[in-house]
Amino acid sequence: MKVTSGTARDEPSDLLSAEAMARRRDVVRHASRTTLRRRRLVGNGTRIACYVALIIALIPLVALIAYTIERGVHGLSVAFFTQAPVPAFVPGGGVSTAIIGTLIIVGLAAVVAIPVGLAVSLFLVDRRGKLAATIRFVADVMSGVPSIAIGVFAYALFVVPSHHYAGIIGSFALAVLMLPIIIRADEVAMRTVPDDLWDAALALGARPSRVARSVVLRTSLPGIVTGNLLAVARAIGETAPLLFTALGSTVFETNPFQPMDAMPLRILTDGTQANAHLQTVAWATALVLVAFILVLSIGARTFAAYATRHAR
Amino acid sequence: MTIGKEGGALERSEHEGILPAPRSGVAALITRRSRRPKGRIYAGIRWGGTLVFVAVVVTLVVSLVWQAAPAFRHSGFSFIFNGTWNPDTEQFGAGVFIIDTLITTGVGLLIVIPVGIATAAALSEFLPRRLAAPLSTCVDLLAAVPSIVVGLWGLLVLVPLFQRDVEPFLQKIPLLKHLFGGADLGSGILLAAVVLAVMMLPTMVALTRTALQGVSVADREAALALGGTRWQVVRRAVIPGARSGIQAAITLAMGRALGEAIAVALLIGGGLTLPHSLLANGTTLGSAVVSFFSEAIGVQRSAVIGLVVILLAFTTVVNIGGQLFLRGRASTRRGAPVPDDFSPDTEVVPA
Repeated sequence: MKVTSGTARDEPSDLLSAEAMARRRDVVRHASRTTLRRRRLVGNGTRIACYVALIIALIPLVALIAYTIERGVHGLSVAFFTQAPVPAFVPGGGVSTAIIGTLIIVGLAAVVAIPVGLAVSLFLVDRRGKLAATIRFVADVMSGVPSIAIGVFAYALFVVPSHHYAGIIGSFALAVLMLPIIIRADEVAMRTVPDDLWDAALALGARPSRVARSVVLRTSLPGIVTGNLLAVARAIGETAPLLFTALGSTVFETNPFQPMDAMPLRILTDGTQANAHLQTVAWATALVLVAFILVLSIGARTFAAYATRHAR
Repeated sequence: MTIGKEGGALERSEHEGILPAPRSGVAALITRRSRRPKGRIYAGIRWGGTLVFVAVVVTLVVSLVWQAAPAFRHSGFSFIFNGTWNPDTEQFGAGVFIIDTLITTGVGLLIVIPVGIATAAALSEFLPRRLAAPLSTCVDLLAAVPSIVVGLWGLLVLVPLFQRDVEPFLQKIPLLKHLFGGADLGSGILLAAVVLAVMMLPTMVALTRTALQGVSVADREAALALGGTRWQVVRRAVIPGARSGIQAAITLAMGRALGEAIAVALLIGGGLTLPHSLLANGTTLGSAVVSFFSEAIGVQRSAVIGLVVILLAFTTVVNIGGQLFLRGRASTRRGAPVPDDFSPDTEVVPA
């Protein structure tokens, strides 16, 4: 005991010879040194491995953005934003159809999904019990439904009976896609409203509708705005729900009851053609689309951070 | 919880706030007693929105199953187990698509699980906060890049790269080279899996990071006090403590990969036979829908919708699993407040 404790220095032991003690001391020192070395080695090794993993994770992002900018920036021009697409091997043309189509389709989807999502989350936020828990669970599971399934659903529901593709059917698909995301984001934002505020408002005699409007919505507005912006950012880049609904078009179309072009559809049709000009158009469209989405998501985050800092 | 935290990541905000509303009994009572017209309008709005949402979900499932029914009647169980898909002879079997879906998702997970957990560990445990916060945002932003752009990037950048460098290299590795037989096509199952891994990564990292950060300081300090190194703390205390959250991250990322259609359709090559190697062409459920839907008519269209139903069943099961893992974390995490569900209030005011 005394020997291995390490505090034993030079006092002679009754039990062991000085030589045996020295030998044991060496063994202990050696063991502790190797253990320490191993701990350091493993610790540093794994830490470096984690850093390497982080770098690997960042490579695709950097490569993607760099490639999109490199390929797309040449395609940007005034005509790109103002003209309709032209056939292959014809110079010029633009994607005004796709930009206006995306704005109309996503705008209509947001106009429907945001109020409905708000109503559902107001329903959920002050409710306990099985019904609310089930709806909450369904919304969570729904947010993982593949977008292609939602596209085919919209097709089966509207295109099959009407025998007609239309931008507004694409809006419906995107609204279905956004709804569960919006519901959960809104509810989470409303949860940040302190209980005292609800109770105080109710104690003043305010009706629940008044509480919802003047207290809950007003207090949680930054969170709701952020969540909805992120949902829109998600919807704007989706291709699969539009493929069998809005269909795509090469004429400038602002009537949502007609087939419409959208930026993801334009990227898909032009990008897969073996034609340098069309590919440039596709990448320029991708650049504009990614810029849209990044502005929306970064804007949402910045707004959330700003609102948190300036809250009350 | 701060608002900023909720808005921090799209993926994350979908999965947070699982605990039921912390409403007091009095408030709920007053809410329920409202009989005035304005109260009725407000209740109507709330119930109306909820009914719309429930109706959409029910219609989604019913209409897809309805449209797929002719194909199920046509092929019976062979629709799921048969591996032949031949519209000319009206043979519709999704077997190959199901297997290809599972292989691409599985290989993608093999890549993304270690990378994702290590990245999350670096961000939440090793790097200083000042560096970790912007890098976390960067990884989150990868989720914002549309899948069509990722797919096109894979088609134009990764296909040549795989064909020229990666695949010949893999074929030289002893033992493993049997997995990578066949021609270097570039596109194929392996490439699809790699791109799926890229798409799963932000989900995986965001959820794992949240889970790691949820492990209590007490657990970490206990492990440190026992003489653990930083790595040992992570390995023995943090990761086991976050196990449920990491399982949720894996399953939810998997759900995303199973359902990805457009990017996979661009990259997997469209083979209709059982794959003999990871470099072979294949067709997943999602990519089959993208490739076959437009030309399909009659029973074939119904069969393609049947593929959507199978896909929907897969992803629903996986997502339910993921949500249960998330809820498991919320209710068993030590130091976390007891969920409102279990409070005696529930008995006083039944909702």
